[in-house]
Amino acid sequence: MATATEQWVLVEMVQALYEAPAYHLILEGILILWIIRLLFSKTYKLQERSDLTVKEKEELIEEWQPEPLVPPVPKDHPALNYNIVSGPPSHKTVVNGKECINFASFNFLGLLDNPRVKAAALASLKKYGVGTCGPRGFYGTFDVHLDLEDRLAKFMKTEEAIIYSYGFATIASAIPAYSKRGDIVFVDRAACFAIQKGLQASRSDIKLFKHNDMADLERLLKEQEIEDQKNPRKARVTRRFIVVEGLYMNTGTICPLPELVKLKYKYKARIFLEESLSFGVLGEHGRGVTEHYGINIDDIDLISANMENALASIGGFCCGRSFVIDHQRLSGQGYCFSASLPPLLAAAAIEALNIMEENPVLKEKCGQIHKALQGISGLKVVGESLSPAFHLQLEESTGSREQDVRLLQEIVDQCMNRSIALTQARYLEKEEKCLPPPSIRVVVTVEQTEEELERAASTIKEVAQAVLL
Amino acid sequence: MRPEPGGCCCRRTVRANGCVANGEVRNGYVRSSAAAAAAAAAGQIHHVTQNGGLYKRPFNEAFEETPMLVAVLTYVGYGVLTLFGYLRDFLRYWRIEKCHHATEREEQKDFVSLYQDFENFYTRNLYMRIRDNWNRPICSVPGARVDIMERQSHDYNWSFKYTGNIIKGVINMGSYNYLGFARNTGSCQEAAAKVLEEYGAGVCSTRQEIGNLDKHEELEELVARFLGVEAAMAYGMGFATNSMNIPALVGKGCLILSDELNHASLVLGARLSGATIRIFKHNSSGVHVQVCYIDMQSLEKLLKDAIVYGQPRTRRPWKKILILVEGIYSMEGSIVRLPEVIALKKKYKAYLYLDEAHSIGALGPTGRGVVEYFGLDPEDVDVMMGTFTKSFGASGGYIGGKKELIDYLRTHSHSAVYATSLSPPVVEQIITSMKCIMGQDGTSLGKECVQQLAENTRYFRRRLKEMGFIIYGNEDSPVVPLMLYMPAKIGAFGREMLKRNIGVVVVGFPATPIIESRARFCLSAAHTKEILDTALKEIDEVGDLLQLKYSRHRLVPLLDRPFDETTYEETED
Repeated sequence: MATATEQWVLVEMVQALYEAPAYHLILEGILILWIIRLLFSKTYKLQERSDLTVKEKEELIEEWQPEPLVPPVPKDHPALNYNIVSGPPSHKTVVNGKECINFASFNFLGLLDNPRVKAAALASLKKYGVGTCGPRGFYGTFDVHLDLEDRLAKFMKTEEAIIYSYGFATIASAIPAYSKRGDIVFVDRAACFAIQKGLQASRSDIKLFKHNDMADLERLLKEQEIEDQKNPRKARVTRRFIVVEGLYMNTGTICPLPELVKLKYKYKARIFLEESLSFGVLGEHGRGVTEHYGINIDDIDLISANMENALASIGGFCCGRSFVIDHQRLSGQGYCFSASLPPLLAAAAIEALNIMEENPVLKEKCGQIHKALQGISGLKVVGESLSPAFHLQLEESTGSREQDVRLLQEIVDQCMNRSIALTQARYLEKEEKCLPPPSIRVVVTVEQTEEELERAASTIKEVAQAVLL
Repeated sequence: MRPEPGGCCCRRTVRANGCVANGEVRNGYVRSSAAAAAAAAAGQIHHVTQNGGLYKRPFNEAFEETPMLVAVLTYVGYGVLTLFGYLRDFLRYWRIEKCHHATEREEQKDFVSLYQDFENFYTRNLYMRIRDNWNRPICSVPGARVDIMERQSHDYNWSFKYTGNIIKGVINMGSYNYLGFARNTGSCQEAAAKVLEEYGAGVCSTRQEIGNLDKHEELEELVARFLGVEAAMAYGMGFATNSMNIPALVGKGCLILSDELNHASLVLGARLSGATIRIFKHNSSGVHVQVCYIDMQSLEKLLKDAIVYGQPRTRRPWKKILILVEGIYSMEGSIVRLPEVIALKKKYKAYLYLDEAHSIGALGPTGRGVVEYFGLDPEDVDVMMGTFTKSFGASGGYIGGKKELIDYLRTHSHSAVYATSLSPPVVEQIITSMKCIMGQDGTSLGKECVQQLAENTRYFRRRLKEMGFIIYGNEDSPVVPLMLYMPAKIGAFGREMLKRNIGVVVVGFPATPIIESRARFCLSAAHTKEILDTALKEIDEVGDLLQLKYSRHRLVPLLDRPFDETTYEETED
């Protein structure tokens, strides 16, 4: 029916065309041409081509003024002028020309000037010289390195250990060796800077949970689980990691490892544990948080620690199962591309481990000074009583960080004058993800006598009162 | 070694072959016709730079093109290896072949796998076959000769057993001991021992807290004097010097122009900084490259565009532009074209970050590195970075420059705030060796070492070229890459050399482009002529055995031997 009508219309049109007068056709023809012209012609002028001429480019180049490579540093910047330590930074040390008792170096076990450690390092120096002149792959692997890795693995009761030549680079290289773009890392807000850099290098998705708050972590894990159910295909290839510290450098608190392990199995996320502060300190033999809580070390996927604190050498190590650790030998950037650890430092670490195995005692002392420092008006103690490094923060901030830092520095300086070497915990304020409040970090070592601890506590008390009131 | 993680592709894209029609020259260099004629006459392919007086000395750098047949065979080799890899993976999957690699814990089998199986295909099926060429443990000073611990594998390199034997006196062509300061006797060792007894091995604190020893201050002052800059700062690790300081210098809104072959530490530092990164072709600064198409991607083009067009999307001008280059490139043996880079950086007001990891001590008449080599002014380099690992036989790194720069780094460097400072005995080793190079120990020993290295370099490179090997890089570079190309020859060369008591480094993909596997020799002032001649004799022999003499432009030995066509024919067969 419709087609019939259409056909009829068409026929009618053709007929009309025949019947129309010539002038009409001509007019319509012109109109059609006009429309075509309108369609194809440009009704507006194109903007002039935006290409710059050579001369203009030169002018632009001439005109451009870069920022200076670095902004000027104010002369009174608190970190510009370092303390100068003359001689060894051990128990009694000379800071800026004044002999002090050291409450600032992480020399927990007093191994820095231990004659046995020195003798071992010296023997190694006489055999191997100082440098290794190569990365591990290219004739930079010494028998001492293999020994140290063996010893560390045995000490920690893990299958394998791997050493790095720089403490900071250890966890910062280990994280990106496993966690890649698209993977998810759950990390404590108080995590130290090395972890932060490792995470940044990994380019993974980072989820921060509140410091030591397992409920918050579980909330995030649950959220992720729901997310995963929506997209199971993606979830199958998304690795999940929980990165925590044993004892937190920035807060002096201990991580609730038993709960973390429960969460690990519940949500199938691997745990990376940074133990730089707790290694050699916590647990009966100094194996760290796992020993402290009596947790099977195989439940932790990777443990990293540096050898620069308790072991008083240089470098760091990771340990765990071979399946995990071996991967770093080709993927750990700080391992592959860096010269290996000078053998004398490896030898020092081995000897330090030997000594550590023989006599581990530190805990009581930590508790003692902790108690002694409680109740200073104006200052509060932050950190666990079993942590050898903890923080003294202002009870009430003055409102400006700068002012707080100045006040604390005044306390540090005055203590220094009274032969107690302390230091503020230093941070890069703009770079830290969650900047901890300014604090004085007090470090307890086995070398400090009870008397000295007491003296330090009373000195800090007196000075704080004088400065803050 | 197979050191490069997967993400390195941005660093090592396969280069376009040369711009010159006959394909002799690889990286954007044009020979002037006079130079070409001279080169042809000598049967050589390098370019003598003639560039309006930018260079005060001839700059001879050559990258002979891979012969076509060799390239094809190399690809075939990888093809065969890959096919076998799949076959063996298949066998392993069905448990027909025994699996040697470590496995996941039973309790965690249902976790997302820690690394993709596919990622490890290369490791499992190619690297594992020749793994014995890397990580060879040594048990002596890494000097001119080393003792290597003998090891055996009974499961095709999946694990090694130490036999307890020691292969004594292996000629060491692998360590970066350029000036021969890796020694266990002499003044450096004595000084280091003294400091070790006094200070102990570690520091247990950071520079900003309480780990700033008088020794560190002494070292930094000396380094500044050595480099001829206003101030310097030293760090505990060379790798970290780059990766932890570049982020302090540039950030969002800044542009980093990085050579495609830059070391992983520079790449990591650039990434961590958050700045935009653009890559330029290796060593093609483009001042005088007019004929080539490569100049479209060269440094100058990048600089020009960056300034003219500003940041992408926001169209704001860049805050600053930082050029990252290395002095000597450790895989190519090439030397940065510093005069051109400096000319460009001045013209476009960019900043220059020069990594002298391999060149400090090893180049220049008095060992001051690539700046002295070209007779330039250290003031023109904004950031002078280098390491103490190589020429000084110690460990760690430094940055030198203007006082403002160092002040800024003292307050803002990640290393200064968060990382333990340099070990005192290591510091002492650097101080003593540096003073020795500067002649401040009252002897001319240091100077002689620098000269010895330069002589060794020229001699060794010339002899290898005469033998008909394809040798990459600059004639003054103590890093000497000898091209092997085929994957099977990587393993064969490393093993044959060790059999002949010579330790060499062999490298393949992904540290090099896939077909450009190579062996690398690092010369040292500690190598005597006798050692070099022994090494050369053995290399010659192994070269014949493995048919490595690919060069079609064999250098005519000085004894007027006529140009030898046989090498050319041999490779074609």
